[in-house]
Amino acid sequence: MSENPILRVRNLKTYFDVTKGLFAQKQIVKAVDDVSFDVMPNETFGLVGESGCGKTTLGRTIVKLYEPAGGSIEFEGRDIAKLKGKELISFRKDMQMIFQDPYASLNPRMTVGEIVKEPMIIHNIYANDQEREDRVVELLKIVGLKPDHIRRYPAEFSGGQRQRIGIARALAVNPKFIVCDEPISALDVSIQAQVVNLLESIQKEMGLSYLFIAHDLSMVKHISDKIGVMYLGHMVEMGDSNDVYHSPLHPYTTALLSAIPIPDPDIAKSKARIVLGGEIPSPINPPAGCPFSTRCPKATERCHKETPKPIQVGNRIVSCMLYEK
Amino acid sequence: MVKAVRDVSFHVDQGEALGIVGESGSGKSQTMYSIIGLLADNGIATADKVVFDGQDITPGKTDKQTYEKKMGELRGNTMAMIFQDPMTFLNPILKIGKQLTEPIKNHMHVSESEARTRALRLMEQVGIPSPEKRIDQYPFEFSGGMRQRIVIAIALANAPKLVIADEPTTALDVTIQAQVLELIDELKTNSNSAIIMISHDLGVVAKLCDRIAIMYGGKIVEIGTDREVFYEAKHPYTQGLLNCVANPEDDEDKPLEPIAGSPPDLLNPPKGCPFVDRCTKAMRICKDRAPEVTTFSDTHQCACWLLHSKAVTK
Ligand SMILES: Nc1ncnc2c1ncn2[C@@H]1O[C@H](COP(=O)(O)OP(=O)(O)OP(=O)(O)O)[C@@H](O)[C@H]1O
Ligand SMILES: Nc1ncnc2c1ncn2[C@@H]1O[C@H](COP(=O)(O)OP(=O)(O)OP(=O)(O)O)[C@@H](O)[C@H]1O
Ligand code: SF4
Ligand SMILES: [Mg+2]
Ligand SMILES: [Mg+2]
Repeated sequence: MSENPILRVRNLKTYFDVTKGLFAQKQIVKAVDDVSFDVMPNETFGLVGESGCGKTTLGRTIVKLYEPAGGSIEFEGRDIAKLKGKELISFRKDMQMIFQDPYASLNPRMTVGEIVKEPMIIHNIYANDQEREDRVVELLKIVGLKPDHIRRYPAEFSGGQRQRIGIARALAVNPKFIVCDEPISALDVSIQAQVVNLLESIQKEMGLSYLFIAHDLSMVKHISDKIGVMYLGHMVEMGDSNDVYHSPLHPYTTALLSAIPIPDPDIAKSKARIVLGGEIPSPINPPAGCPFSTRCPKATERCHKETPKPIQVGNRIVSCMLYEK
Repeated sequence: MVKAVRDVSFHVDQGEALGIVGESGSGKSQTMYSIIGLLADNGIATADKVVFDGQDITPGKTDKQTYEKKMGELRGNTMAMIFQDPMTFLNPILKIGKQLTEPIKNHMHVSESEARTRALRLMEQVGIPSPEKRIDQYPFEFSGGMRQRIVIAIALANAPKLVIADEPTTALDVTIQAQVLELIDELKTNSNSAIIMISHDLGVVAKLCDRIAIMYGGKIVEIGTDREVFYEAKHPYTQGLLNCVANPEDDEDKPLEPIAGSPPDLLNPPKGCPFVDRCTKAMRICKDRAPEVTTFSDTHQCACWLLHSKAVTK
């Protein structure tokens, strides 16, 4: 029996109006453009792609921080655009986000204890303050901080330590889904491994689903069941993480994989990278045809004219002319 | 008082890249901020000697005002910094163009329009799409990665003698990271700049650096050439670090092997070896006495009691 997805995103569009001046021509950044994917319960969907391709925007639209310009997002079968009252409040509890920037996302005037406790108070989920306090201590331990850190302020912590405070805060209300926006990129490897193992074990225990945004493909491959590759607002390839890693179909995925820095000096210093020439396109003024056509080593004339549609290739979905029949 | 960095010594030559790798909170950033005189108001740095390009810039040697004036000049002219968080460097209410052209005008003494042309070229060089349009935008309109590339463009403007890069590629995806690392590598080979690269990414350091220092609990526990550190690691922490990197070629069902525990609280730094609480090979002496440094080659040193002749022969 096939399960229903916990998150179902269809043809999602999130645009920003960046028009300057009253009489200027309208300028729109299509940060997320026609993106569709499913996340199953208990599953981790990894999202990778170039800086500025729209990963954070996609994550923020899913947690309802941004209003979509089109398409739909269903969480547990309900269209999140239509949620009101109690349903909206429970959505805000079930769907949490860990932010990319551990500096900007923590209130500098609150202690670590207050930061982690705040969502518990907002959602009124523990009986009294003592219970909340106990849970805060437990959460700090889970994320590898010390109980006496509770009374310190964010400024007294290093980047990596601050990210763990953000994770503790997201876990504070026992969510069902966490959008993890680059949660480990600021951490050093021994702690990355701990956090990834932590996220995995929390997932097993509590049955959580993750949208895991990262640029470290090795780690994304490790943690994710499925991987989606974004380019210029579009999802260009999507499939089981092993398949995508071992036999990338889209030329952009291939280039991305060739640029992974390998932790071995002889290999790293000699490894040839597929250099992407051509103009890096702007999302304000995306190229005609395939979004990758300006840099794609395999582009044909058709690629500059027609926009490739998502095609199913085995278990994979890829948007590239090379696979059209 | 947090003792973020204790007794750290190293050098970097012109045209050389030194990598500093270590646990989050191990004092990598604070080491660099002590050197360049950028500690927070509650920070105190003492050092026996810090020498930059033949000049003594040891903190605490002259009065605060003289020191800060000198460091301000050096930072503007011959040292460049690329921070972990680009917004510590960028002004949120100034257009990107202004933030790029000001330093260009100051250091190259060129006209406004010439500075703008150079700024556009730099933006292109670091891979910002449609620079003509982007130059009149504000930092909030840029993605995290694009902001970082602006900071690098500002650093590149001066062909500095020393570049201190604190996790410069942490927020970037790999194709842009590869490009940025190549840009920094070019500074090294073309401008003969000395590079200090702080990173927790062993892949980044393996790619860029000639020598690597491994920091733990405010101390350098091992230092050596790239090959010495990766292929002949002596310190249990270095070895553990190398064992918990995800190798994409591995099958993923194999769980990662993190080093258990967390770094020491630097409010009360341990008396002996900083790694003692997490080390699986720790001996009695490790708790009480800071390990002596053992030298393996001109370039390779390690501070661990396991390497002491008495432990080795046991
Ligand atoms: N509030 C905003 N106003 C205008 N444009 C925006 C806004 N937020 C994002 N953008 C633009 O939308 C595009 C996507 O940005 P987004 O932050 O989602 O990228 P990202 O994939 O998360 O990048 P990174 O890996 O650098 O974090 C970029 O072109 C960015 O400049
Ligand atoms: N302004 C401050 N006041 C008090 N303690 C501080 C301050 N800044 C940093 N620290 C402490 O100093 C120690 C070293 O911090 P530092 O920022 O140098 O770590 P790091 O090695 O750069 O870590 P990361 O990889 O997470 O950036 C940490 O224990 C941190 O908590
Ligand atoms: S000195 Fe002792 S505790 Fe420290 S790393 Fe060496 S063996 Fe381990
Ligand atoms: Mg982002
Ligand atoms: Mg740091």
